[in-house]
Amino acid sequence: MKRNFLSLSVAGAVLALSSVTVLSAGSIASASTLTAVKFVYDFPGPDMEIIPVVVAQKEGFFKANGLNVSVEFPPSTSLTTQLLTTGSGDIGFITTSDMAVAVEAKAPVISVANYSMTNNWGLFAKPGSTLTLASLKGKKIFSWGDTWTNAMIPFVLKKAHLKASDITIVTGANDTPLLMNGTINFTTSTTNYAIPGITEATKSAPVGIVGAAAGVPNVPVWVYAVTHNYANQHGKNVRAFLKAIKAATIWASSHQTKAVADFMAAYPKSGYSKFYSTKGWALTVPLLTNSAGKYFVQTNKQWTTLATALKSVKLIKSVPAPSTYYTNKFLP
Amino acid sequence: MSSSSLLELRGISKTFASTTALSTMDLTIERGSFVSIVGPSGCGKSTLFNVLSGLIQPDGGSINLEGRDVIGATGHVGYMLQKDLLVPWRTVLGNITLGARLKGKVTAEDRDQAKGFAEKYGLGDFLNHYPSALSGGMRQRVALMRTLATNHQLLLLDEPFGALDAQTRFEMQQWLLQVWRDTQRTVLFITHDVDEAVFLSDRILVMSPRPGRVVDDLAVNLPRPRTLETLVSPAFTEIKSKVLHQLHHERAL
Amino acid sequence: MTKKKLLLNIFGPILSVVVLIGIWQAIVVWGNVAPYIAPKPWDAINAVTSNWSTLAPLTWWTIKETVYGYLVGALLGAFLGVVLNKIPLMQRVLYPLLILTQAIPIIALAPPLVMILGFGVMPKVVIVAWIVFFPVTVSVLDGLNHVDKDLMTLAKVFGANSLRRFVVLEMPAAVTQLFSGLKIGATYAVTGAIIGELAASSGSSLALYQRSASGSLDAAGVYGTTLIMTAIGIVWFLLVVGAEYIATPWQRRSTARQWRRGAKPVVTNN
Repeated sequence: MKRNFLSLSVAGAVLALSSVTVLSAGSIASASTLTAVKFVYDFPGPDMEIIPVVVAQKEGFFKANGLNVSVEFPPSTSLTTQLLTTGSGDIGFITTSDMAVAVEAKAPVISVANYSMTNNWGLFAKPGSTLTLASLKGKKIFSWGDTWTNAMIPFVLKKAHLKASDITIVTGANDTPLLMNGTINFTTSTTNYAIPGITEATKSAPVGIVGAAAGVPNVPVWVYAVTHNYANQHGKNVRAFLKAIKAATIWASSHQTKAVADFMAAYPKSGYSKFYSTKGWALTVPLLTNSAGKYFVQTNKQWTTLATALKSVKLIKSVPAPSTYYTNKFLP
Repeated sequence: MSSSSLLELRGISKTFASTTALSTMDLTIERGSFVSIVGPSGCGKSTLFNVLSGLIQPDGGSINLEGRDVIGATGHVGYMLQKDLLVPWRTVLGNITLGARLKGKVTAEDRDQAKGFAEKYGLGDFLNHYPSALSGGMRQRVALMRTLATNHQLLLLDEPFGALDAQTRFEMQQWLLQVWRDTQRTVLFITHDVDEAVFLSDRILVMSPRPGRVVDDLAVNLPRPRTLETLVSPAFTEIKSKVLHQLHHERAL
Repeated sequence: MTKKKLLLNIFGPILSVVVLIGIWQAIVVWGNVAPYIAPKPWDAINAVTSNWSTLAPLTWWTIKETVYGYLVGALLGAFLGVVLNKIPLMQRVLYPLLILTQAIPIIALAPPLVMILGFGVMPKVVIVAWIVFFPVTVSVLDGLNHVDKDLMTLAKVFGANSLRRFVVLEMPAAVTQLFSGLKIGATYAVTGAIIGELAASSGSSLALYQRSASGSLDAAGVYGTTLIMTAIGIVWFLLVVGAEYIATPWQRRSTARQWRRGAKPVVTNN
């Protein structure tokens, strides 16, 4: 539902570079006292949402909590939960819809913290174009083909009183060029990815319909997740990880320029500009806390709402107890 | 041009860069004769064949074949090499009629003629076979049939049996003489094998290199048909020794 | 072909597939592999058959992309092979360019193609043709470059013009080589179609179905679609092998079939 597949080609090189840096950093600090943790991102390449992890690495928050965290990128989207279950990763960054289908498939994973708190997903179009639910009929709409987008589009159609056949879903590797040359009418994304991308390309902000206006359920989009095994045997690591991430997130929210610089230094070939990452991170920060200003806290309601929504669009068959999906017990 | 001569070369020569491949040559070949050319490599025999077949242009002189000037033209001689050059995707019949195909369409007459040749010379059962199913000797027979089927009076055979084992080669030599007699063609035959030259020919041209030229022109007056007896007759040995003498004499210089 | 050889030709491949499936089953069962990581073979097959009404039109699209692209690539490849052989200048100018085309990662090629050609069948056809043409060009060029020089000389002596030499001798001589290029292309073709589908598709496609299945941790669906893609590749390869079998009878038979033009039955009387 986000990002630029072209950066995929450099992801491998970045991955190799980053693991070298992590290794050398680890060997400088007394490796014996730090516990190694493998963090798996949700996308094959890095982007600004990984800033809390990068900051925790670079500014010493992990080290302060006794951890040596390395970052892995999956070979393709939606593989992060599988990588956790096979032991290729310890703590994963996934969408809530990934979590729901994982539980449906009986994969033993559990969400340990929200990353973001609200649904900032929606439809976006070039600046100056007309984008209303009433104007959707007959249009070409871009999708990344991932589970989250597959889950959300039916809600948009429902709100617009349209059938699936009323629009053309186009799937591909990069939306912005297609949007620019008019090959597609609208793209689907979240505010923190779509606004920087389209603003960078057109020099002005896109038009969009987001969240409730687009008819989608108001649920968090991203969470941190682990396997049941890891939660049971290495709860200490999960707690230490979240503690470090919380400190890093707070630091990165108040030192946004330095946080973006840390990201650009860690992943100079991410394919994203400083402008994009700065704007994207600025748009991400407000999403990270709930109405009470708290980080991470998950609720029964968010998971029930999500599961019910996914069942209504037939992505899952049954709505399990919300506790199947999450636990707040590792929160700092 | 006398009525019995088929081919007349007058003043033919060919120089490549600074090498005289063929110094000025005059040669007359009688219609229906079998003429062998022997000589070490570089003596110009291949150049002579290439000039006769039209593949290369001589520096000067004239070539008169059946009353026509054929310098620089192709398509007027039958030609056969040591390699049989049968095409693997055409049957025996298809290979025999290859000459016709290369000049246009294969007509029913072409096919009937090819079948006639094949049946007469022991290939009748193999008309529909691909060359891969044939022995080396049979392949050379097909190659000769293909040469005959071009219906040219003059056949240039460049060491056609050079790659065959001794026994097969002797069979092929006898067979070639039979075909030659039946079809009344004129044969120019390049060989390294003096026995073969003497056994087959009416006349042997001995060539020598630097510059390439004919140094001897021997008549072979052995009675025909020639058989195994021919090979051991004193007359055979006498001619053979003359040729060998000429070759060695030349080489010793 | 002897009966024993025939049996071996039929049962050999079947046996190897059965063994492969057996190994797959053994790994999944004994390795205790979770069904969302890798399915049992039967579950993968079942994921195809039970969703066939959805998968059939997608499969048909992929077949079309593969076949159209392959035909375009094969024709273009053969044409280029002839051009390179016949015009020596082209061999210098064009050959490095052709190698360049193959050095470009197809993944990088796909998005701009979609920008230009849209989401339909066209960009996939171009990608497949792009992959297929090269081995065909190389094999045709190789075949033509290795036609016996003496045979061509002989044809010249026989008075054949260059067009006849090409049609009667060079073209058939290059056929054997041509098929080795066509077979290599056949194994790659379906990959090109799938890369094209991943780059961009309007509506659904086999590649996107697989991506969705992957996103839903539906490993049976992922492996099932892989089986379909593999089957398309194998069937196409076998069709090319079949075409070779028919087009080059001299490679396996000692005699031509009697129905061949002009070859009346030859009666053997011995």
